[in-house]
Amino acid sequence: MQKIFFGNDCFPPCLLYSRGNAAIVFCACLPLLRWVKAFSTNNYFTQVDHARFLSLFKGAQPYGSNVEMTYYSVMGYSLLEEAVPEAAKACESVKAHVQADVDSLFYATSVAEGLKPSKVTCKISLNDMEQTLQDGLSEGSPSIKIYRAVAAMVNLGIKFDQQKLMTALNEALKADDGVLSHGYAFLAASYLSGDLHKYHDLIEDVIAQADEVDDKYLQFEGGLHTTAVVIDGAYKLATKVNAAPVFTDIGDKVVKFANYFVGRKHVQSLKNAAAVLSVIKTLTTNKFHVPVAVTLVSSVSVSDKEPTVKIRISDLLGGSLGKVTVTADTARHVEDDAVIINKKQLKPAASQSSVYELDLMSVKPARGFYRIMLSLVPEAPDKHLIGTSGAEVEVKVITQVTIEQVEIGVADKEQSGPTRTTKLQYPNKAANVLEADYHQRVTMTFQIRDKAIDQPMAAHQAFIRLTNQDTKQEIFYVPEPDSSNKYRFDLDVGAKSKDFGFLTGKYTIALIVGDVVIENPLLWNVADVYLTFPEGPTQPSYTGRYSKKPEIEHMFAKPEQRPPTATSVIFTVLVLLPFIILFAIWAKLGANVGNFTLSPSAVGFHVGLGAIFGLYYCYWLNLSMFVTLKYLGVIGIPTFLFGNKLLSGIAAKRK
Amino acid sequence: MPENLKTVVGRFYREYVSSTSTKLKLIDAYLFYILMTGVIQFVYCCIVGTFPFNSFLSGFISCVGSFVLAACLRVQVNPQNKTEFGNISPERAFADFVFAHIILHLVIMNFIG
Repeated sequence: MQKIFFGNDCFPPCLLYSRGNAAIVFCACLPLLRWVKAFSTNNYFTQVDHARFLSLFKGAQPYGSNVEMTYYSVMGYSLLEEAVPEAAKACESVKAHVQADVDSLFYATSVAEGLKPSKVTCKISLNDMEQTLQDGLSEGSPSIKIYRAVAAMVNLGIKFDQQKLMTALNEALKADDGVLSHGYAFLAASYLSGDLHKYHDLIEDVIAQADEVDDKYLQFEGGLHTTAVVIDGAYKLATKVNAAPVFTDIGDKVVKFANYFVGRKHVQSLKNAAAVLSVIKTLTTNKFHVPVAVTLVSSVSVSDKEPTVKIRISDLLGGSLGKVTVTADTARHVEDDAVIINKKQLKPAASQSSVYELDLMSVKPARGFYRIMLSLVPEAPDKHLIGTSGAEVEVKVITQVTIEQVEIGVADKEQSGPTRTTKLQYPNKAANVLEADYHQRVTMTFQIRDKAIDQPMAAHQAFIRLTNQDTKQEIFYVPEPDSSNKYRFDLDVGAKSKDFGFLTGKYTIALIVGDVVIENPLLWNVADVYLTFPEGPTQPSYTGRYSKKPEIEHMFAKPEQRPPTATSVIFTVLVLLPFIILFAIWAKLGANVGNFTLSPSAVGFHVGLGAIFGLYYCYWLNLSMFVTLKYLGVIGIPTFLFGNKLLSGIAAKRK
Repeated sequence: MPENLKTVVGRFYREYVSSTSTKLKLIDAYLFYILMTGVIQFVYCCIVGTFPFNSFLSGFISCVGSFVLAACLRVQVNPQNKTEFGNISPERAFADFVFAHIILHLVIMNFIG
């Protein structure tokens, strides 16, 4: 649950501007938006979990050479307050396998301690046992070793030096200031007496290092075991000091830790199971902060048949909290935020204790999901309870539907007017087999009606399924609802031939309707239809998929169509013909070369010109532009000089 | 009308023959030759198609270019235009004509492919 507080958290920064004599004071109340989450745990350690854990702890039998496993198993039984099966054998096992080191002695002596309720006296004794444990308290030991040494000594009734333990612990925390180290230090410190506030004050810093997950869980880096050890240690130390652990957002954080531990109740390893159980028990039995579990025990679905929402109020181990007044503050529709219940008190259930009932259907809620916000007031006021307000459970109101106004028909593709349709009544199947070929359409319209409010609705899932009666091949279509929630399905047989693989035959049309808020999802065989498809393309053979493909050969560009040789020759002659005509006309006009003298300039000029055009001819055939230009320069210069001399000579002669 | 046309054309021809200098007639004959060559190329192109297009173009452009250059030469050597081109002698005009031809045909040879 989320609340927004404005007034309480208002932070008034005042800004003072001074201009001449006038002082203007702005006091702005900045609403610091704070999302206060105070939801409660909505899960607890049930009887089923109890039985599962029992079988898990039983898995350590027969007790073997691993003293640690025996320890977790015996510890589990004593946490569950169950008698240890084959207690004598457990004792023999640890006696046989205990070794002279701190860990082994800790496990063995703890087993011996755990067997006491089972009326088995188990005395662990080794030669240098006391010396080993005393050495464990020396400076330089990590806090886990210190804790185990002191716990073993307490188990064995050996006296230890308080001052020595404190010095060792301080050294250990200096050497390793991780959260796990602190967790074991808290556990070790809980064996001390005197002024322990030094350690108690550390709790706040350590808790502050927890990481939040999904706004719902708090855990320490290192996982379940680390988190369990730290929280367990913190509350054991607090119990010893007899002062509640102090940290920020206590309610919020304790609930998130509780969520985390209860959420991990499906652990599989003995070590983690014992740790989870131990910390849940600590959170339940400590006298400072006891999280409340608000659990939905009825089905999530609420309907006319099951109109009540049943809620169990318990501690994390499922224990009763005594008589409690439970109030549903609001019940809010998740989609449109409509509040349907306001401040309604829940009735205690007649048959079960700690269970409270709310008749949700009495207010005639619309279908959909609802969040119910609960707050509880215990009859005997207990300020240690955490999560008494803002508990939230989510339920859904489901409804029955009917299918109405069902019409099915076959129409021509081009026809736009009304088609002849058959009216159908759920759950009867159409009497006649419809027939449609690939020039036609199959149309179907229907409405899904919410029985409770007697109005059409759109279901989350509505499908039309066509099944070929011979091959049993199925194809699904999704009918779309229009604005008035009337569904329409239109099958253009010709256009959809490919979907059906051109498989002409008898098909069964079925309507499938479902939704999370529909109580009676349905599958209705509406009608049979004989669909005729056009001849399809032959299916490519899949067996030939990996055979050799025809070789691809390179194709050169095809040359353009040339004219016949005769045409080319004729036109070549034709093009040359005017040249002859030219000479004929010139001859007729009396042109001559009588003026031509054999002077070097005349000869040079004409030879030069001829050479230039000869060069062009070579250029056309094989020379490149640069070579041509080079030769052109060579020929061009004398030709120019000769030409210049010749023409100026002619001009001079003319004058 | 046809009578008139015949008279006009006859008169025009007689006047051309009598009043045009031989030099200009030679150039006119050359122009006629170029015109005919171009027309024949165009007819071929209409009958057979333009492939290869660059060859057709260079042939045809050669004709057009030569015709223009020859026309220029004819204008410049015509004694009646002496007022316009008084400082250009017929020899100078011919030299220009030859030079322009060398450039024109270098380009055409480059394009003919």
